[in-house]
Amino acid sequence: MNVSAQAVTIVMIEDDDGHARLIEKNLKRAGVYNDVLHLNSGTAAVEHLFGPGRQGGAPVLVLLDLNLPDMSGIDILARLKADPVLRLAPVIVLTTTDDDREIRRCYELGCSVYITKPVNYETFAQAVRQLGLFLAVIQVPPTAP
Amino acid sequence: MTWTQAAFGRITLGLTALGFVILLAIGVGLVWMVQETRGYASAVVATQQIRVTTAEVFSSLQDAETGQRGYLLTGDAAYLEPYRQAEAQLDSELERLATQVAADGGNIPVQEELRWRIEAKLAELRQTIELAESGDMPGATALMRDGRGKTLMDDVRQVLNGIEQRTAARQERRSASMDRAGRILLLVAASGLVLIALVSLGTLRVAMLYTRELESAQAALRGSNAGLEQRVAARTTSLMAANEEIQRFAYIVSHDLRAPLVNVMGFTQELETAIEAVRGLVQRAGTEAPSLVTQEVRDAVEEDIPEAIGFIRSSTNRMDRLIGAILALSREGRRRLAEEPVAVQGLLEGIAASLQHQLDRAGAEITLQPPFPTLRTDRLALEQILGNLLDNATKYLDPARPGRILLRARREAGLNAIDVVDNGRGIAARDHARVFELFRRSGPQDQPGEGIGLAHTRALARRMGGDIRLTSTLGVGSTFTLLLPDALPAPDPAPASQTEELPA
Repeated sequence: MNVSAQAVTIVMIEDDDGHARLIEKNLKRAGVYNDVLHLNSGTAAVEHLFGPGRQGGAPVLVLLDLNLPDMSGIDILARLKADPVLRLAPVIVLTTTDDDREIRRCYELGCSVYITKPVNYETFAQAVRQLGLFLAVIQVPPTAP
Repeated sequence: MTWTQAAFGRITLGLTALGFVILLAIGVGLVWMVQETRGYASAVVATQQIRVTTAEVFSSLQDAETGQRGYLLTGDAAYLEPYRQAEAQLDSELERLATQVAADGGNIPVQEELRWRIEAKLAELRQTIELAESGDMPGATALMRDGRGKTLMDDVRQVLNGIEQRTAARQERRSASMDRAGRILLLVAASGLVLIALVSLGTLRVAMLYTRELESAQAALRGSNAGLEQRVAARTTSLMAANEEIQRFAYIVSHDLRAPLVNVMGFTQELETAIEAVRGLVQRAGTEAPSLVTQEVRDAVEEDIPEAIGFIRSSTNRMDRLIGAILALSREGRRRLAEEPVAVQGLLEGIAASLQHQLDRAGAEITLQPPFPTLRTDRLALEQILGNLLDNATKYLDPARPGRILLRARREAGLNAIDVVDNGRGIAARDHARVFELFRRSGPQDQPGEGIGLAHTRALARRMGGDIRLTSTLGVGSTFTLLLPDALPAPDPAPASQTEELPA
């Protein structure tokens, strides 16, 4: 287990508790033991990521469901990628939509991986591991001011 | 009042006929009047002639008397010449007068009196002359002096005056009746002309009313046409809105259905993983402490639970495919069709080539029967439709005979008809409509598929301004006919600009 990867917190924005639980379980099963912070609404996610009490430099990986009841995941993605600090965080979009236009839009906004539910957890865990490692590598030099 | 064309025709015809009748009556009246005038003119001439003749008669009688006086005064026989001449003329003149008066409707007894009196006068003249000729001059003079000759002459004059007066009176009466007739005719003609003028005005008014009515009917028709167009446009808009609504509905529903399905599928996977652990435990217990493992437990772990999981999994997989299909359909409905020239023959050859492997395996062949048209349409959509039809034809062949699939094109009711004719297993008549419905299939379910192809194909054909038709006999074969216009209908009703607003 890569020690630097451990530092990465996985922020999971998912309104469906079942989906969240499945993702968590499958991540553990695939050997990803990072902390997973589950936020079950768009409002909670915005509060955590952009609110006054946010942790400045801690590296995060965002798992984002687009189909949230209170706001569109696309908006959260756009805000993440517009944020000077968080724009570096990899974002994995996990959603039931497999519409080409939707996928293209997410990639244009800067998401790292787009995964369609039902999830093939093998590829998913692989993606999380790689992105986590990638994040760990670029986290090695001190953060730019 | 509403004028029908027939009523208008009848009324104008009636009025025109009335006008003609009036004209005819005036004409007849004029002919009668001309006839009357001619009669009047000849009556005037007759009157004049009677006057002249009476004057002549009187003048001749005077001539005779003058001659007698001259002879009696002079004794010169030369004076007798006018007397004899007058005597000779009087006879024919009297004859003429009699005829003229009779023709003029005069009094015959008066004529007789005149003749009689003239003869009496002539007899008196003759007597004096005879006396003078015999030398009894004083006797003759005495006879002349006794005034009988004058009396006779006065009588004649009186009778002649009477004749003249009566003739004049007759003429007067004729003139009066002529005048009356003329007045009546004038009146009739004037009223006839007034009537004709009225009839003409009536006809004109009827025609104007009719024309006005026609104009207002035309205006109403134009109005209702415009209204109709507006209504059609409104309906089209609402239909498009409804169609869009359905697509959004399908899109949203399929997403929202998928979320719980993902859980069912995911946790089924979890269950499967968990049961592996339990199964290991049961197997170990079976060897280490067989008394603990009852048949019931063994059955549950070895058969019941795996079977249940198997059914759940196959059902959820199927449901996932169905939802995927609905999503694909709704996405297809939102795709904007792009018009370009598409040569149908080349397209069909391409599809046939891609199916060659399946065809070889089934021992079937596809035959193209040219000519095929070149359409201005969406290439991808046409390829999907024809591909689906050919795929079906290849899939549902009858194993009892070698498959023959014929492709041909023709014109039908201004559209291009492309027939896909197969000798496959056919479709029962009761399923002819069903096969085009979503998730509906027909016949033995021995081929993979969700029952989406034909529904999708027909939806596409309709969006392209055409349709799909099926004729088929079970056990003999099917003919699917794709009807398409020469070009895509414009504008494309796909609400492409609004897809961006769809929820993720």
